[in-house]
Amino acid sequence: MNEIKPTSSIGIPKPLVDGPEKVTGKARYSADFIPSDCLVGRIFRSPVSHAEIMEVDISDALSLPGVKAVITGEETDEPYGVLPIARFEYPMARDKVRYKGEPVACVAAVDVETAQKAIDLIKFKYKELPAYYTSQDAMAEGAVNLHDHRPGNVERDVDFDLGDTDNGLTEADLIMEEKYNCAEIAQVQSEPHAAIAEYDSTREFLTVHASTQVPYYGHKMLAKVLKMKESQIRMIKPFVGGGFGCRTECLNIELICALVARAAKGTVRIVASREETFITHRGRPETDVEMKIGVKNDGTITAVDFKAIQRGGAYSGYGVVTILYSGGLMFGLYDLPAVRYRGLRILTNTPPPGAMRGHGITDVRYAFENLLDKVANKLGVDPIEIRRKNLLEGPKYETLNEMFINSYGLPECLDWVEEKSGWKSRKGNLGPNRGLGIACAHYPSGASKPVNWTGEPHATIHLKLDWDASITVLTGAPEIGQGSTTMATQCAAEVLGLDMSRFQSLTSDSKLTPKDNGSYSSRVTYMVGNASIDAAKNLKNILIEAAARKLEVKPEDIECLGEVYRAGSQDEGLSFPEVVQAALEGTGTITVKGNFDTLPESWGTKKYRGGAISGSMAYAYAAQVVEVSVDPDTAEITVEKVWAAQDVGKALNPLAVEGQIEGSVWMGMGQAISEGTKYVNGLGITNNMLDYRVPTIIESPPIDVGIIESVDPHGPFGAKEAGETSLVAFIPALTNAIADAVGVRPLDLPVTSDHLLELMENYKTREAAE
Amino acid sequence: MEYMPNFKLHRPKSKDEAAQIKNESSDSLFVAGGTDMIVNVRRGIEQPHHLIDLSDIAEVKEISQDKSELVIGSGVTLNSLANSEKIKSDYPAIADAALSIAGSTHQQYGTVGGNLCLDTRCLFYNQSEWWRQSNDYCMKERGEICHVAPGGKRCFAAFSGDLAPAMLVYNAEVKIHGPNGVRQLALQDLYRNDGMNHLTLESNELIASIHLSNNLAGSPSKYEKARIRGSIDFPLAGAAVRLEKENNKIKDITVALTGVNPFPQIIKNTEAMIGMDINEKTLDLLRENVRKQAKPMKTTTVAPWYRRRVVGAIAKRLMHELSVE
Repeated sequence: MNEIKPTSSIGIPKPLVDGPEKVTGKARYSADFIPSDCLVGRIFRSPVSHAEIMEVDISDALSLPGVKAVITGEETDEPYGVLPIARFEYPMARDKVRYKGEPVACVAAVDVETAQKAIDLIKFKYKELPAYYTSQDAMAEGAVNLHDHRPGNVERDVDFDLGDTDNGLTEADLIMEEKYNCAEIAQVQSEPHAAIAEYDSTREFLTVHASTQVPYYGHKMLAKVLKMKESQIRMIKPFVGGGFGCRTECLNIELICALVARAAKGTVRIVASREETFITHRGRPETDVEMKIGVKNDGTITAVDFKAIQRGGAYSGYGVVTILYSGGLMFGLYDLPAVRYRGLRILTNTPPPGAMRGHGITDVRYAFENLLDKVANKLGVDPIEIRRKNLLEGPKYETLNEMFINSYGLPECLDWVEEKSGWKSRKGNLGPNRGLGIACAHYPSGASKPVNWTGEPHATIHLKLDWDASITVLTGAPEIGQGSTTMATQCAAEVLGLDMSRFQSLTSDSKLTPKDNGSYSSRVTYMVGNASIDAAKNLKNILIEAAARKLEVKPEDIECLGEVYRAGSQDEGLSFPEVVQAALEGTGTITVKGNFDTLPESWGTKKYRGGAISGSMAYAYAAQVVEVSVDPDTAEITVEKVWAAQDVGKALNPLAVEGQIEGSVWMGMGQAISEGTKYVNGLGITNNMLDYRVPTIIESPPIDVGIIESVDPHGPFGAKEAGETSLVAFIPALTNAIADAVGVRPLDLPVTSDHLLELMENYKTREAAE
Repeated sequence: MEYMPNFKLHRPKSKDEAAQIKNESSDSLFVAGGTDMIVNVRRGIEQPHHLIDLSDIAEVKEISQDKSELVIGSGVTLNSLANSEKIKSDYPAIADAALSIAGSTHQQYGTVGGNLCLDTRCLFYNQSEWWRQSNDYCMKERGEICHVAPGGKRCFAAFSGDLAPAMLVYNAEVKIHGPNGVRQLALQDLYRNDGMNHLTLESNELIASIHLSNNLAGSPSKYEKARIRGSIDFPLAGAAVRLEKENNKIKDITVALTGVNPFPQIIKNTEAMIGMDINEKTLDLLRENVRKQAKPMKTTTVAPWYRRRVVGAIAKRLMHELSVE
């Protein structure tokens, strides 16, 4: 007789449960929903960067046959925004426009040509104001305020000094400093933004499909802006073609779509062009970093003193969080005895950035790791050794800002990349124009304090068990391609010992699935995974009790083997469908619930204002070695090979983890060598996929992924973040490799070939002169 | 993506029929593969009421050889061109160039004629209608000024086709079909140094075929372009070099560029190099000559000085590679 065993799903490579729909083209994305009588929505966008609105004359547009509604900023006086402390953006501009492309009006018409004709008939009268496209200009003495309540155009000024930084610098044997400029970048996810809003005027009920990472926040903002009850709105997130943080807050397109649908008393579909998706932005802000590191001769860091200025665009968005992350997340990677940080988030006449993958930390970590490499070279210490020298010391891993760190696989990550890359024998021996670089990074597994602090659980999962002995996972966690539904299914299947084929899933429909905060800050695996485990345990208890009743034994005597529940090894037991039958007798279909909450110890520090930002239940760690070659004539950079090690706690699905790490490398490579938005007088000149240069598969280097498992004591089966950390590590590893290859150290991002060639030629000229 | 406006689509079966439709419908455009044209239509840069699709004309889809020349139909796809054994062996730079255009799917659609007639490109021109309107358009389209060289009277939009330089180094000729019959001219005379109006074609003329003389068949050549990504990108600068050598001396050399001027440009004064030894000095001589003649302007996000630097480096590298093969 074969031994009966529970089926295991964790730690086994699993194809994503929603994969077949995607690869066969059956998956329906927001733009694929075209209900009958659906009107076309088109947005009139500001042609100027900063102006007082004198008049938006829509009379001619309204009288055009086929036009069903035209709305402007008059439609709602309720502002929106993801952070309760910074809600001052309107779906369509009201008093002023503040960036080129800001929505001013919207038309709903029977077809796209009519809609465009109506747009052309709108007369926009305005009085121009001085516009500021750089942080420096917006901060300059006498600059006009974009918003009256933000004097000096400062959205947030963060200032902390933990430890004794001045003393740390005094004790240092060597102090080095550099200035860095990191260009603004965008996500360029494959699916442009889209929304379909259906307004039922009889019931005053609104249904919205939108390409979002945060349907719950969208739901709340729709209710606020439309002044409707949340119960009158149904929010659905269909398949989404990537997010990377650009949909981590409710976007104006969803709100405008709903407003114009209500005005037209019908259904309206708005599909943004690629250019409009760039303008909606929410990418990574341009960041200027001044980094200073003090070290002892052996490489021990005595103090870090740094400053970040972010060009925050015309509205806040996540801005306050971004500038706080940039400071707080300096901690937690290395043992730092003193850190001083000044962060300025500035309002400018450009589209608002957001919470892009690697939120807040990427650019300052880049600066730190780039400078640390320079410090190591100066001291003659191996770049890996200087990092080892400054590791956190367990088992409490204390940081000055009281981070809650219970697992720390960075040492193992360093060991892995050192060995696999042949660092010891190859570093310095690769010949001319070829080099190796290393860098490290970390990232939280979700923010421990949510955006809306109402005391509700961080995550909730429902499992529905029915007479057919199938289990439906009901989750509000937005599947955006990262594999969250697969992960939630795996966790439940593992607890119940069942094959995943017993499970189906329903996701992100506010009428069916429990509320979830959304897919951002790498919270989902940690929080929703734990909720799924909790729900499955609750269901298992019910099933065990039913089996015990049926077998007339005590529940504690029941052994659950997944497909079989039995009272002893000699007992034939009950099959899973029989146990289900027993469980549902008398009660009918069961839905159980599981929750997850963060522990108060993980809520960050109170030592400075905003110290809660960067508090997390766990942090993932990465070390990366990059090998590059540089063409001496054209400065063309080829990434020859990448060794990426990441401590993910536990790889629940090694296949998905590997995909996340490879994707992180690709995205980091874009920011490092070719991507950057550019504006001419506030007009985005690279808002298309030809001029905004995302690397293609041809540029993809061979990537060796090393999965390190430190097994976090609070993570679901020990898991932590897997999708952002490695992006952060790639960028400095690359510039450090370039410095190793050609002898000049790039500081500004992206390191384009023209920029690098200039550095190389200046270097040659300097050498010749010396 | 911007929406596709309405237009009437015609699918003629012959060159004559195509020319006839063109004559009858003002406000019409020829389209072949459409990989660039359709983007411009969606952006409102072109607003045709009639689009005359040339992809159904069988007579322009052949590559044929006779005693004196190789004839390439203008409707031959870039993919067929790149895979033609004859082209690969006798005119290798042309195969290199075809293979370097955009991405492989574009090469399935894009045609030889389309790439030769590619509209010139500029950051201030290849933008959406809203964008160009917000920027007061430009002299190339509906506007008055040039944003690349404000105050200037010329348009510097860059010719960005890859095939033209590779064909120019083989002294290619083009046969042109029009209402008044057929005319044949040197490929270089198809172009003029004017970003607004870089083709010497009349609006109702179309290229029927490209003619490559047997005299130069087998003459060694290469084409390479600088670009940020190994796929999709138009050339920031590109160079084709054809080099014949004898006893390590230059017997014949021709160099042509793309991406650095409003027209594909044959480098002047290369005949002065004939008879010289091939060494670092002559390689540098070519590089400097190319750099001097290339005139890239700020029509892309990449710095013009870099494009000039790089096009010289490419020409030098190709000459070196050809000299050691």
